[in-house]
Amino acid sequence: MARVKPKRHGVITDMTAMCDVAFLLLTFFILTTQFKKPDVEQIKPPSSISEKLLPDASLMTINATPDGKFYFQPVDNARERSELLDKMGEKYGIAFDNNQKVAFQRVQAIGVPMNQLKSYLALPEDEQKNFKSPTGIPMDSVNRQLVDWVQQSLSVNPDYKLAIKGDVTTEYPKVKSLFEGLRDIKFLNFWLITSQEGKPNE
Amino acid sequence: MAEVQVQEKGAKGGKVRSKKQSTRVDMTPMVDLGFLLITFFMFTTTFSKPNVMDLGLPAKPDPNAPKPPPTEIDLSNSVTLLLGKNNRVFWHQQDQAGLNDQTLIETTLDREGIREIIKQAKTRAKKKELFTVIIKPTDDAVYKNFVDILDEMAITQSERYGVTDLKPYEKAIYDKKVGNSGAPAPATK
Repeated sequence: MARVKPKRHGVITDMTAMCDVAFLLLTFFILTTQFKKPDVEQIKPPSSISEKLLPDASLMTINATPDGKFYFQPVDNARERSELLDKMGEKYGIAFDNNQKVAFQRVQAIGVPMNQLKSYLALPEDEQKNFKSPTGIPMDSVNRQLVDWVQQSLSVNPDYKLAIKGDVTTEYPKVKSLFEGLRDIKFLNFWLITSQEGKPNE
Repeated sequence: MAEVQVQEKGAKGGKVRSKKQSTRVDMTPMVDLGFLLITFFMFTTTFSKPNVMDLGLPAKPDPNAPKPPPTEIDLSNSVTLLLGKNNRVFWHQQDQAGLNDQTLIETTLDREGIREIIKQAKTRAKKKELFTVIIKPTDDAVYKNFVDILDEMAITQSERYGVTDLKPYEKAIYDKKVGNSGAPAPATK
């Protein structure tokens, strides 16, 4: 006597299609990701409720470290960078050779006064990354190199936007001097980089 | 495993056939790995973009331009906030004559403190459309205070606000307040 058994099927999912999609997406994300370059100094931006994301624009960034030093990060565009270096050199009477221009195109952020820029650019790339400037870019009422960097960048391309990244503990007078300098060159609209904070429920 | 092998029973005493090996490849681990990587790349792309807040500065007045006539400001239409050291914040609605130790009031940088003050001042204002918040960061303030207070402006929807320096008489009273109080002053509402 053979009992009639219901035929049992194996539970098989065909995962080929899913796998295809997964790897297609994976490829897409791998190709579009841009890894953040490491910062020279650790800066922790203050939190804010603003939900606006940093737009994709030709962006120059000013970093203000906790101890009030300024770093300037020019726009990522090799040709315009070398133009900027020419203009700054002209203004401060320093001539840069081709090697230094190439180094400048690759540099992440500048944190030295103009008179030390040459020797900074001459450093090997590894040392540049670890070089912590004792002074930063000077920014006070007599020596306003930071504002000059911004101004010369704008003369290369007036469409540049500026983002300021300050640390939680950066002293306000430092920031104020920067704002005042920017007002002097009539560059009035820019962004402050903040970190996300939950919107308070009213 | 996504594949559950079910052994076929029965056909006892049948012919012994050579078992056919299935050519199916188990793709589960591969898909797992794929999605793990996707998750990673998705998170890194969205979170590498920092948040920003807009800031527009007023243009510097042209030194050659004639000075605008002094405008009459009703004190109730504005509130002045002083950002002090150690994240302390003070506020007042006085002019030089009325400002003293009692009228410069300390509050806190949170919902119960400063936000309430701004809201109350706004409801008290005689001309609501002219209500202005004047932000005066002292030299002891840090960048965070400044961003926080701009945040409060966004939260309380105070569109008219200005950032400026302390007047000497405000500075004198602020110094006195900060210098005097070793213990934190009681929070006022």
